[in-house]
Amino acid sequence: MFRHPWAPFLFLAPAFLGLFVFRFVPIGLSGVGSLFSENLRGDMVFVGWKNYAELFDDPSFWNTLKVTLIFNLIINPFQICCAMGLALLVRRPTRFMDVFRLSFIMPMTVSIALTSIIWSIMLDPTLGPVNSLLRWLGLPTQPFFRSERQALETLMLVATWKGAGYWMIFLLSGLLAIPKEVEDSALIDGATGFRKFISITLPLMKRPLAFVLVADTAANFLLFAPVYIITNGGPNGATQLLMFEAYQAAFAYINHGRSMAISTIILLVVLVIAVLELRLFRPAEEERS
Amino acid sequence: MKLSVSVPCVARYAALILIAVVLLTPIYWLIMSSLRPADHIFRFSGSFSLQTMIPMALTLDNYAQALQGSIGRALFNSLFVSVTTVAIGVFVNSLAGFGFAVFDFRFKKALFVLVLLSFMMPFESIVIPLYSMMRAVGWTDTYAALILPEAAGGLIIFLFYQFFRGIPREIYEAARVDGASWWQIYFRMTMPLSGPTIATASLMIFIHQWDAFFWPLVATSSEKLAVIQVAIARNMTLEQANWGAFFASASLAVLVAMVPFFLLQRHYVKIVITNADR
Repeated sequence: MFRHPWAPFLFLAPAFLGLFVFRFVPIGLSGVGSLFSENLRGDMVFVGWKNYAELFDDPSFWNTLKVTLIFNLIINPFQICCAMGLALLVRRPTRFMDVFRLSFIMPMTVSIALTSIIWSIMLDPTLGPVNSLLRWLGLPTQPFFRSERQALETLMLVATWKGAGYWMIFLLSGLLAIPKEVEDSALIDGATGFRKFISITLPLMKRPLAFVLVADTAANFLLFAPVYIITNGGPNGATQLLMFEAYQAAFAYINHGRSMAISTIILLVVLVIAVLELRLFRPAEEERS
Repeated sequence: MKLSVSVPCVARYAALILIAVVLLTPIYWLIMSSLRPADHIFRFSGSFSLQTMIPMALTLDNYAQALQGSIGRALFNSLFVSVTTVAIGVFVNSLAGFGFAVFDFRFKKALFVLVLLSFMMPFESIVIPLYSMMRAVGWTDTYAALILPEAAGGLIIFLFYQFFRGIPREIYEAARVDGASWWQIYFRMTMPLSGPTIATASLMIFIHQWDAFFWPLVATSSEKLAVIQVAIARNMTLEQANWGAFFASASLAVLVAMVPFFLLQRHYVKIVITNADR
């Protein structure tokens, strides 16, 4: 490492200017703005915790929290199980495995906005090819996004269609990093198949799994586009996720204080997730040095 | 070599094929629909038959129609925004990565934690406050609003830092003895050595900007500045009837994203592997 009185700071300056103006200032602004409210004349007035108090008095906000919590409690384990399954399937470089690996990550080329539009057409009750396939197979057709009971689950499946391959990459690289001898020694001990996976592979995958769990949670916690494009939070609030609620407060109800209060709650949760992620990296660095 | 065909092996390949079909069908259906005559798009989708999946008539009319409308402009906007962000992003983030990799200085640890935090907090989390900040200074509805917030990013700084750290310090020492300034070392020596890292960073920034939806939706309201993802979503609500144009423009958006994706995918797994043991 070199020392220089000012050169390092010049190298850092442009990027930190960007991070400061476009990341840290908005974060601060969100916290401060959540304590203000706009009065009828359009002036900002300090109101203390009033915006938060109003949020927590509002049954529709509690519904949003409930939906967001249920969504995350189910989709994160589900998506990670799918990603792990995919990674295990394409792990050994047997015939055509390159083709399968590539096709599993192809949904990454479809943006989240397009994913939402395409699936909302595919799952349409009358025109959608999915329901016509169900009819053809003699199975009952499904309302999917049109039903209060199925909408949230359908949202999870659509998000998993796009996400599973992406998270598979991280788990696959974790699997490929496991030395072959370690797993082979388990074979000598007589462990095969599922038992070998539970007792040997899974413990070795702790770190990549933890990373994917935390990063996936952050991503799903902020899911917005499918709600905005397909369901608008409906039917009857069944898919009202937190990020969409923040958007509505800012752009549909133009309630500045409320949107800032929701944003601050979102930021706090994401910050906790980020600190958890940071802690996951720490031991790795220390073990090596 | 003996070809071994066992039951688990067959089951594994059956599962692989089934999953691949589920994951690829929507993409296939999108692109195939875009090539159908407009009045054929939904004709066969309501009741399932061979024609639902295999078109009998093909045409490029939908593409011609889509490009005549607002989509041409939106494609240009997305390309312009993505390429400009790549150029600025590679420059500022590689500078910062160089600073962290080469120098020892006060507050280095604290600043580096800020970099890591910024890459672990997804951009979406600051969209609403960023919007009110931009509105306050009158920056909404500009290209700058689409480009600048996405230029500096913790992930890309980290990527460059990782690579620069691996360059032996003797090279720098020799150059310093020869009287080169740090700027010259960065620009004339380090960057020319960093081709693959620059390519990877460029592709990652490009894909990220090309796919961006939430921020552009919020930051720009005029049609002139609509990026491709926003333009497609808006066309869906404005002119619901024009399905041909929708499928064509959506296919174009996916096909453009596929180009860097195929270039990137070989690097991608490698990067993740090196990052996994950081």
